[in-house]
Amino acid sequence: MSDNILELKKITKNFPGVKALDNANFRLKKKSIHALLGENGAGKSTLIKIITGVYNQNEGELFLNNKVQSFNSPNEAMNSGISVVHQERNLIRRFSVGENLMLTNLPKNNLGLIDYNAVAKESKKWLDIMELDIDPNTIVSDLTVAKMQLCEIAKALSLESKILLLDEPTSSLSPQDTKNLFVLLKRLVAEQDVSIVFVSHKLEEVFEICDEVTVLRDGKNACESEQITNLNRQQLVKLMIGRDEQIINSKKTVNFDDKNLLNLQSINTDLGHKDINLNLKKGEILGLYGLVGAGRTELLKCVLGLEKINSGQILLNNKEIKIKSPKDALEKFKIGYISEDRKKEGLILMHDVLSNAGITVWSNLKKILSFLNDQIVYNKVDPYVKQLEVKTPSYQQIVSNLSGGNQQKISVAKWLASGTDILFIDEPTVGIDIKTKSYLHELIIDLSLKGTSIILITSDMPEMISLADRIITMKDFKVVGETINTHNYEEMSSSIMGNIHE
Amino acid sequence: MNFKIPNFVKTNQFGLLCLVIFFICIFSFSTDGFTSRFNIYALSRVVALDIMIGLAMMVVILTGGLNLSLGALGVSAAMFGGWCMESMGIPIPISIILVLAFGSFLGWINGFVTVRTGVHSFIVTLATMSIYFGFMTLLTEAEAFRKLPEIFTDFGSLKLFNKYISPLLIISVLTCFILYYVFKFTDIGRKLIAAGANPDAAELSGISVDRMFIYCHMLSGFLAALAGIMLTARIGAAIPSMAGHLGFDWLLPAFLAPVLGGTLLSGGKVTVFGTMLGAILVTLINNGLYLIDVGEFWVRFFLGMILLGAVLLDRAREYFTVKNSIVS
Repeated sequence: MSDNILELKKITKNFPGVKALDNANFRLKKKSIHALLGENGAGKSTLIKIITGVYNQNEGELFLNNKVQSFNSPNEAMNSGISVVHQERNLIRRFSVGENLMLTNLPKNNLGLIDYNAVAKESKKWLDIMELDIDPNTIVSDLTVAKMQLCEIAKALSLESKILLLDEPTSSLSPQDTKNLFVLLKRLVAEQDVSIVFVSHKLEEVFEICDEVTVLRDGKNACESEQITNLNRQQLVKLMIGRDEQIINSKKTVNFDDKNLLNLQSINTDLGHKDINLNLKKGEILGLYGLVGAGRTELLKCVLGLEKINSGQILLNNKEIKIKSPKDALEKFKIGYISEDRKKEGLILMHDVLSNAGITVWSNLKKILSFLNDQIVYNKVDPYVKQLEVKTPSYQQIVSNLSGGNQQKISVAKWLASGTDILFIDEPTVGIDIKTKSYLHELIIDLSLKGTSIILITSDMPEMISLADRIITMKDFKVVGETINTHNYEEMSSSIMGNIHE
Repeated sequence: MNFKIPNFVKTNQFGLLCLVIFFICIFSFSTDGFTSRFNIYALSRVVALDIMIGLAMMVVILTGGLNLSLGALGVSAAMFGGWCMESMGIPIPISIILVLAFGSFLGWINGFVTVRTGVHSFIVTLATMSIYFGFMTLLTEAEAFRKLPEIFTDFGSLKLFNKYISPLLIISVLTCFILYYVFKFTDIGRKLIAAGANPDAAELSGISVDRMFIYCHMLSGFLAALAGIMLTARIGAAIPSMAGHLGFDWLLPAFLAPVLGGTLLSGGKVTVFGTMLGAILVTLINNGLYLIDVGEFWVRFFLGMILLGAVLLDRAREYFTVKNSIVS
C-alpha cells in the first residue's frame, strides 16, 4: 500500500481541437502540501476540474485512497472529501459566516425551521479549529478579503474534506495575511489529516510551503511529484516555460525629459482613487504594477470616462481634455483600450472575425448615408489581421470558435486598425500560449518604437520587466512608487515588491 | 458520396419556408376557400400587419430587451393620426409623417427611461404600455375617428395584382428590404447589432451603446406607428380598441414572428426575412384554423404552443452557436 491519498494515472482530456491533458500523472501524498504549477493553458485547471468532478477524463484513472474512483459531478467529489477553494469567492455575501459554513447542512429545529443557535454553535466549532476569531453571525460582506478566504477554507473543512485544492489563494492577500494563511495550512496538515494541492504563480510561496511539486506544460508532465528540495527557482521556471526565463531587453531609449503626451494630475475618482499623478511620454511603455484590487484597470476606465472623476485634470499635449466615453477617447483623442477580459469586454464572441476586427473603424470607413459593406471593412483590417498571423478559416468564422491566442490577436488587431496614438493594454497575455505571448511582446515593443505610447497593466512580473520603460506601482487605489526599468529581474522585482509592501 | 448540403438549407429560414409550404398544402386540401381570391386578399392584409408588428418587436429584441408597449404605442399613434386627419384636417402625407414622428418619440421615451434607469425594458415598457394607453383613452374619451379622408381609407381596401394582394403587404415587404439593407450595409446597423450582442465590448470599442439602444426603441416606435396607420387604413377608422385592451392583441404575433424567425432573445442577432416568414407562418395557421372552424380557443391554444416551441428553439439555437451570419 502506498501512502497516496489521491493519484491520477495517465489522464488524457480532449476538447474539440485541443488536447488539454496528455497522459498527465499526479500523486498527492497523505498529509502533504503539493504544488501544481504550469503556465496559463498548461492544463492545471483542467486537471483540477477532473479531480473535482467537473469534467470526466477521456483516458486514464483516478485513485482515491488507492481505489479507482470516478466522479460524475462536483457534488460526488465533495462527498468523497475533496473540496476546492477558488480564486473567486464562493461565499454568499449577504449571508452570515455561520449560514455560509453550514449551507449544505443547515441544522433544523423540531418545527423543521432553521435553528440559528445551532448554526452559530456548529460553525463556531470549525472556526475554532482554524483559530479564527470571527463571530459566526457576522455578514460575509463585512469581512476583509483575507478573512473571507479563511472562511472558505473553514467551509471546506466543515464538509469533512480531506483534500483541499487551493487555487491561487494568496493572489489578493497582503504579505502578513499570506504568512498567517501558511501557518494555518501547515497546522491543518499536521493536526487535521488534511492534504493540500496548492496552485500558485508565486514561486517564492511554493518554496516556502510545499513539500512536492508537479509541473504541467502543454498538458504533459514537465515533472511529476518531485521533492521541492531537489529543485531551485531557475530549474522550476525552466520546467514551466520550457526554456530559461527571458527578459527581453529592447535597448530602446526613452527620453524622460520629453514633454508629456498624457498627464494625469491629482485625479480623485468615484471608485476611490486618491491623488493619482502620472505622465506618459511619446513612444513610452509605462507599466502599472500592483496586486489584484490595486485599482489599475479601474483607473484606466475612469480615464476613458466609464466611471466618474471627481477632481483633478487630464492633459493631452498639455491641454486639458474631458473624456466622456470610450467613443470620445477613440474618435476625439485617439486613445484605445485593450481589455483584460477579452471574452466579456474585448470581443463580441457570437459575431464573426470581420465585424470584431473592424468594429473600431466602422465610423471612419462609412460612406455617404452611412453605407458600409464587408469589402470596405475587409480592405481596412486585412493587413492587420495578416500582420498578426491570426489563424482563422475565414473572416466569416465566429470568434468564439477560435483559440484564446487567436481571439486575443483579434482584440489587438482592431486597435491596430484604429490607428490610435495612445493604447491602454490590460493583461495582454493571460491564458495565452507561449508562442503567441512572445509574439505579442515583440509587437508591443514594436508599436512603441513606431511612436505609439502605451500604458501596460500586467500582473506577470517578468512580462512587466521585459516590456516597460518605467514602472509605476499602485496599491489600494494610490500610486506608491515609480521606478525606471533597468530590465534586471532581481533588482526590479525586489524594488517593486518593496514599494508594495512598505 | 460527394454530396454537400447547400448552406441555405441549414438555415432557420429554410425550415420556416418548408413549414409555410407545408401548411399551405394542408389548408388548401383540408379547407374550402383557402386559395380563393377573397381569402388570399384577406390574408395579405393581415400578414402585412403581422410582419410590421414582428419587425417592431425584433429591433428591440436585438438589444436583448422587449417592447411590451408595442400595441398601446401603435394604437396611440394611430389615434393621433385620426385626430390629425379628421379633427385638424391636416393633409394625409403630413399627418403620416407626424404619426411616425410621434411613434418614434414614444419609442424614444421607452429607450431613454430604459437606458437612464438601467431597469430592464420589460418593466419599463410594461409601465409605458399602461401610460400610453391610459393617456390615449383619456384624450380621445374612447371615441373612434370614423370620418377619415376617403383617399386614405380607399388605399386600405385597394386590391392589386389581379385583386389578390393588398398594397399594405407591399409596404411591409419594402420595409423588410430597407431594414435588411440598414443592418447589412450601414455603419449604424452594424453598431446596433454589436451593441445588442455585447454592450460592454461595444462600449469599449468606441460605440455609444446607450444611444444605440435608444435608436432601437425609436425604430420600434416608428414601425409600431406605421403598423398603426396600416391598421387604420385597413379598417377605415381609428378605433381605441382596435388592438384589444392595452394593445394586447399585437403581442403574440409580435413575439412569434421574430422568435420563429431566428432572432435571438438574448440580443445581437437580427433576422429580417426570418421575421417575415415567421409572421407569414403565424397568419397562415391562424387563418387556416379559423377556416377549419376549430374555434377561438383552439387557435389561441395553438399559437401559445407555437410560441413555447419557438422559445425552446431559441434556447437550442443559442446552444448550437450562431453559425449563420448575423444579418439575414
